Amino acid sequence: MMRTVFTFAGMTLRSLLRRRTIYGISIVIMLALFGIGQIPSFGVEGESTFILDFGLFGLELGALLLAIGLASNIYPRDREQKTAMPLLAVPLSRGQYLIGRFLGAALVQAAALLVSCIGLMLILVIHGHAVPGDLIPATALLIIEGWFLLAVVFFFSFWTSPPLNAPMTLLLFIVSQMSVVQFVSLYPQAPGLMRTLRLILPHMDVFRIKDPIAHGMGIPDVYFLLAGLYGLAYMAFMLSVALAVFRTRDLK
Amino acid sequence: MKDRPLEVSGLTKVYRKSLGMKSFTAVSSISFNLNPGEIMGFLGPNGAGKTTTIKCMLGLLKPSGGSVSLWGLRPASSRVRSRIGYVPENPDYEDSFTPMEFLAMFASMRGLDAGKPGMNALLDRVGLNGWGTTRIRNFSKGMRQRLSLALALQSKPDMLIMDEPTGGLDPIARKEFRDIILEERARGASIFLSSHLLSEVETVCDRAVILFRGRNVREGSLVDLLTREDSYLVSHIPPGGAAGAMIEETVSGPALQARIDSIRAAGNSIIEVRQDIRSLEEVFLSATGGNP
Repeated sequence: MMRTVFTFAGMTLRSLLRRRTIYGISIVIMLALFGIGQIPSFGVEGESTFILDFGLFGLELGALLLAIGLASNIYPRDREQKTAMPLLAVPLSRGQYLIGRFLGAALVQAAALLVSCIGLMLILVIHGHAVPGDLIPATALLIIEGWFLLAVVFFFSFWTSPPLNAPMTLLLFIVSQMSVVQFVSLYPQAPGLMRTLRLILPHMDVFRIKDPIAHGMGIPDVYFLLAGLYGLAYMAFMLSVALAVFRTRDLK
Repeated sequence: MKDRPLEVSGLTKVYRKSLGMKSFTAVSSISFNLNPGEIMGFLGPNGAGKTTTIKCMLGLLKPSGGSVSLWGLRPASSRVRSRIGYVPENPDYEDSFTPMEFLAMFASMRGLDAGKPGMNALLDRVGLNGWGTTRIRNFSKGMRQRLSLALALQSKPDMLIMDEPTGGLDPIARKEFRDIILEERARGASIFLSSHLLSEVETVCDRAVILFRGRNVREGSLVDLLTREDSYLVSHIPPGGAAGAMIEETVSGPALQARIDSIRAAGNSIIEVRQDIRSLEEVFLSATGGNP
């Protein structure tokens, strides 16, 4: 069972690496790092704060864009080009297909975010700043956020088209960053309903840790652990819902 | 029945309406079986519901009614998937891969040992010798068909499900495909062959099902389908006539004895009386509302 999933994940990984998407992602990472590397030339005070602030914001945005860019088209492409048929007809179950595709995309996403994190560290070192100890766990948290977003994109991809997938994911990303007060203000006529809805919707604000890191405030290890577990649990939930939807789909 | 490779019973598939489109019944209450070691032809004009039926058999579509079972199990079962090979119509694979990569990955996903010599032998068998490391994007339609056959044969399946497997092939390749189908049957596999090519079905199949507008309109052994019930061909020559003067006429069963008597009374010699055999094309056309 797992051998099948891992083989298919490897196939997905190879397939994604061979597509031009990966070149686009690499160019965007390079440009973002180059841009952040230019911050010291503005002679701002608190240079490292700016670098970390922009850098971590870039990583979070990168996680979102990577999720949409990598996953929104995987299943629709497989369905349109009928490449899913021979796979799902014989060696793979729908669950294995989903997990394999997810793992392949998740590996590419994690690698891209790790490379970006290393780039950010190099910029800090080159400009004579210390690398905060929390940068690695923060990146790990952003990778988990990226995986959660990837699961969301897969979920949407089973019942909507790629052009709709991106705005829906973006909308969920924005809404999930809102506080309860902000969310209730969207529809103040039904505060109870909005509060309940906000409780159910993901709380991705737990991943927003750039400010404390940029300003040198320590983050307890237990926070990373709990936020990471929350992200992984929500990711697993989204994948389960995505699979339930996928299982009802006819492959015409 | 657990030993029967395929049992389709009252299968119905309705595509539900969406956004103002009407619902459409692609397949309506069809039933047939495939017995062990048998080659079954699955015929029908375009839009008859052949591919829909096959997709229901593979668990890609959910039936709206009736049931499909393979060896007594539901199609999506992993035990079923490990026993079947599928050759899709117009196969398309991730074209950045090579056949060797695909064979290795499929073998791994199926838990098979993918040795290079074995994969080369498989490619050789389907006529892709020397193409193992070429990217699939450079393949013609026929070569993709050959690759899909190699992938289907890889696990030595107990049943092969083939959807228009020779559609894009030239006559030589079609003959090679037919030979492989017969070899697989000799190995003990059951084969479900959907095809437009009536001559192909007539050559290799034991039984056939003809589908028309989603309904099963004819089913039976090829001998039964091709034999015209209660119709005979009588060959005779007039007295002193040469072989070239032979007359052949079709006579219905009830009138046969009287006609034989009248031929003899006229002094003609009867050469042969045999049952009237039609071509599969005639059977197909009459079943699907065409001529004759």
